[in-house]
Amino acid sequence: MMLLYAVVPADATPPEKRGLHGHRLETIRGVLAAVIVEESSEGLRATGDESRAFAEIICDLATTTSMLPIRFPTMLPSRSAVLAELQANEAAWRRRLTELDGLAEVVIHAHEAEADHELSSVTDGSGTTYLLNRATAIHRREASVAEISELVRAWTREIKVLHPQQGVRLACLVADADVPQLRDAVTTWQEARSGRQAVVSGPWPVFSFVGDQETVSR
Amino acid sequence: MSDAAERWSDDQVALVDLIDRVIGGGVVITGDVVLGVAGVDLVYLGLRLVLAPAHDVEQSVALGRRSA
Repeated sequence: MMLLYAVVPADATPPEKRGLHGHRLETIRGVLAAVIVEESSEGLRATGDESRAFAEIICDLATTTSMLPIRFPTMLPSRSAVLAELQANEAAWRRRLTELDGLAEVVIHAHEAEADHELSSVTDGSGTTYLLNRATAIHRREASVAEISELVRAWTREIKVLHPQQGVRLACLVADADVPQLRDAVTTWQEARSGRQAVVSGPWPVFSFVGDQETVSR
Repeated sequence: MSDAAERWSDDQVALVDLIDRVIGGGVVITGDVVLGVAGVDLVYLGLRLVLAPAHDVEQSVALGRRSA
């Protein structure tokens, strides 16, 4: 079985790394793009530790080449199956690789104490009260998404709204060089009003912007 | 909050984001996965998506119910 890691340009330098199962990573090349794989007879346990180890390998690979990460865990039965996928998709993948060259993903978490209070009161009462509170919470969240999207608009190429634990969570596609300015803008936004909290994670490989998922804004 | 506590919190957020994106983002290819425990292969899955963040699964279930 072949465990798939990432799509890279056809002329990418072969990685000098080992995969999850300790085997050397290989590059299966097409004309326009290539796929980095690890051949292994072992199955996956798909644990958090494996997910984390896979993520670390992807982040490591992303420091050496532009790439489209492949969702974990994806395994194909043979080299020829990987090649078939590559041939079917390499034109679109190459196009996206070119568009994403020099870009990274950062994730912004933001929430306000006031909004949390409204969300926590959603369960109070019943019927009309519940619906009104719920609508207020949703409107506040939408307003926060719009506000933060506008705040970081100068540095972002695409924005995707991710499911948050609380508040809002936005994946932003940003030029590598612009990540510090985006972080500074978010910090300034946080400090402008008490009760606001914001965290920026990344820069990560472009997990949320590989091209087959819907994006918002811009 | 102390700097150390704040840094820990940011690291935790980063780790959750990273794992969430690894299993919830990226190129989707129809693949096969053999899941195993303690070296024994337990389940063979020929699915588009095997692992997903819980919220994605909840969303899919809700959409399925709505369209049923």
